[in-house]
Amino acid sequence: MNLHEYQAKKVLKRYGVPIPEFGVASTVEEAKRIANELGLHQAVLKIQVHAGGRGKAGGVKFAKTKEEIGVIAKQLIGMKMVNAQTGSEGVIAKKILISKPIDIAKEFYIGALIDRNRAAPILIASPEGGMEIEEVAHKMPEKILTLPFSFEGKLRPYQLLRLCKFMGWSGELAKKGAHVAEAMAKCFIETDASLLEINPLVQTPAGEIVALDAKLAIDDNALFRQSEIVAMYDSSQVSVQEAAAKEFDLAYIAMHGNIGCMVNGAGLAMATMDIIQLSGGAPANFLDVGGGASKEKVAEGFRIILSDPKVKAILVNIFGGIMNCATIAEGVIHAAKEQQIRIPIVVRMEGTNVEEGRHLFRESHLKIAVAENMKIAAELAVKAAKG
Amino acid sequence: MAILVNKKTKVIVQGISGKSGKFHAEQCLEYGTKVVGGVTPGKGGQEVLGLPVFDTVWEAKKALHPDATLIFVPAPYAADAILEAEDAGIPLIVCITEGIPVRDMLEVKRVMNGSKTSRLIGPNCPGLITPGECKIGIMPGYIHKRGKVGIVSRSGTLTYEAVWQTTQLGLGQTTCIGIGGDPLNGTNFVDVLKLFQEDPETEAILLIGEIGGDAEEQAAEWIQKHCDKPVAVFIAGVTAPPGKRMGHAGAIISGGKGTAQQKYEVFRKAGATITENPAEMGHAVQRAMKK
Repeated sequence: MNLHEYQAKKVLKRYGVPIPEFGVASTVEEAKRIANELGLHQAVLKIQVHAGGRGKAGGVKFAKTKEEIGVIAKQLIGMKMVNAQTGSEGVIAKKILISKPIDIAKEFYIGALIDRNRAAPILIASPEGGMEIEEVAHKMPEKILTLPFSFEGKLRPYQLLRLCKFMGWSGELAKKGAHVAEAMAKCFIETDASLLEINPLVQTPAGEIVALDAKLAIDDNALFRQSEIVAMYDSSQVSVQEAAAKEFDLAYIAMHGNIGCMVNGAGLAMATMDIIQLSGGAPANFLDVGGGASKEKVAEGFRIILSDPKVKAILVNIFGGIMNCATIAEGVIHAAKEQQIRIPIVVRMEGTNVEEGRHLFRESHLKIAVAENMKIAAELAVKAAKG
Repeated sequence: MAILVNKKTKVIVQGISGKSGKFHAEQCLEYGTKVVGGVTPGKGGQEVLGLPVFDTVWEAKKALHPDATLIFVPAPYAADAILEAEDAGIPLIVCITEGIPVRDMLEVKRVMNGSKTSRLIGPNCPGLITPGECKIGIMPGYIHKRGKVGIVSRSGTLTYEAVWQTTQLGLGQTTCIGIGGDPLNGTNFVDVLKLFQEDPETEAILLIGEIGGDAEEQAAEWIQKHCDKPVAVFIAGVTAPPGKRMGHAGAIISGGKGTAQQKYEVFRKAGATITENPAEMGHAVQRAMKK
């Protein structure tokens, strides 16, 4: 689960990371009130969306006067941001962050994530802040320091020393910088984060260290014990389909093609998208109804797929393991009748009780093509989508 | 021969009193697996499927001397169940549970890496099977056929697909292992490849990978250096967009790394036979064996 910048900053502030004073507004009046309360005559205004590249997309602006704060707030609230990360539909900024401007002497990068190879959380630091860390890693790998830390969220004193030398921090600055690193490690573990980033972390001319931006993503598997974070969930930042899928515990990801896919199992669902492309088509989505999908989940899966107007054909690919093919057939037939599906459906099913499942389709008198294997199914679906 | 499990393997089921624990314990018994008992805290002394249930793995171990444990414990408690099994020294720990928090797995990994007694398979996996002898997992037994291909995969239903193809082509399988779709798991591709390489019955290997991480890259490197058996490879997720988790927690392209194309490339270099068509996995094994 992704958090907004303002939410991440609130969390980090609690761990003692210095954050420039800020407020969050969803109306122009609120924005003006926040500027008053914080006594701001100038401000940085940033749209709050779950996507990077806000600056380039025009979602981050500097207001030079008090009047401008209101004018820019009006432009940014409700702004639709579209870039490679958001897809063609874009995301809408319901809220903006209003922050006190900070003078910058130097920018750094500091982040934490899980290193799958080492099976350890690692702190990543670079004296090259402000840039994408992937870009730094690519162009100047020597400018990146990685420090594995314990699953209790602690860095060793020698690691902090190494970090400060690497970043060029000494004296008071080293104390402040090390404090931020320690807070990051603790916060990362305690919030069950999968990614925590401060970019840029800024050194001011007065020798302070502050976080100008913050990114925090939480491990979905740990949300059951992160109730405070769950309360920060913003469903407006994902597509209607993705929000509906989440509600029914289905894994759904929107794609750009026109063949809707419903598959059981994540690996098979990916492979189904791949074979559609290999057959000259394009998948409209990834949808995993789960290894043991029920009739209800199948019906909900159809509803979600059909709510995407791009979809011109549906491919159902089920390998009934423990799950019975007849159950799936009943689910598909029920959904097709109930929702009066008019677009072609191609079903490929294999596994437990497959004969009964195929029989049910034949008897249903619906426009459902039953394919013998994955290859034929993909070809039929591609053909059907072309009309 | 096959690997890890055979008809002598004695198995306990952790979480045997739960719905899926009981269902799959029964399925394994029907397949012929020697399921000898189960563990559910608070249900010690009861019976499920006519098998004794214990409160702790330690008690089950003392009474039954199992070689393996199959875990169906819900995600919030699953890491504890794995650690308990390791502490009791159960040699093979198979964890089916999906959705274990990564932070919990950090601790599990540290313990498993230092374990002198135990091996973990999973979590978030279908388990493993030596056809005709022993099934420790949730895969449908009847699609398997004893034969010559060792199958290792990060996925569940996609593995069934591969099994079914090799069964239909008459190749059959020695052992099939799902190592799980999580970012942090126990036994990895390289561990299983080593076992297949040493197993005289395994004539060819089918590896099914997916986007995310670099377990496949490590496997390719190992194959290039140490494997003289034919290897066929399919990688799921050529069409997966970057930055999105494709159902499995571990299946994500991040920072431009972990794409299917990169993974195919390393296997190509390692001399493996690759197929980009999931309907052709069985045929790819045949091609590899003719090389």
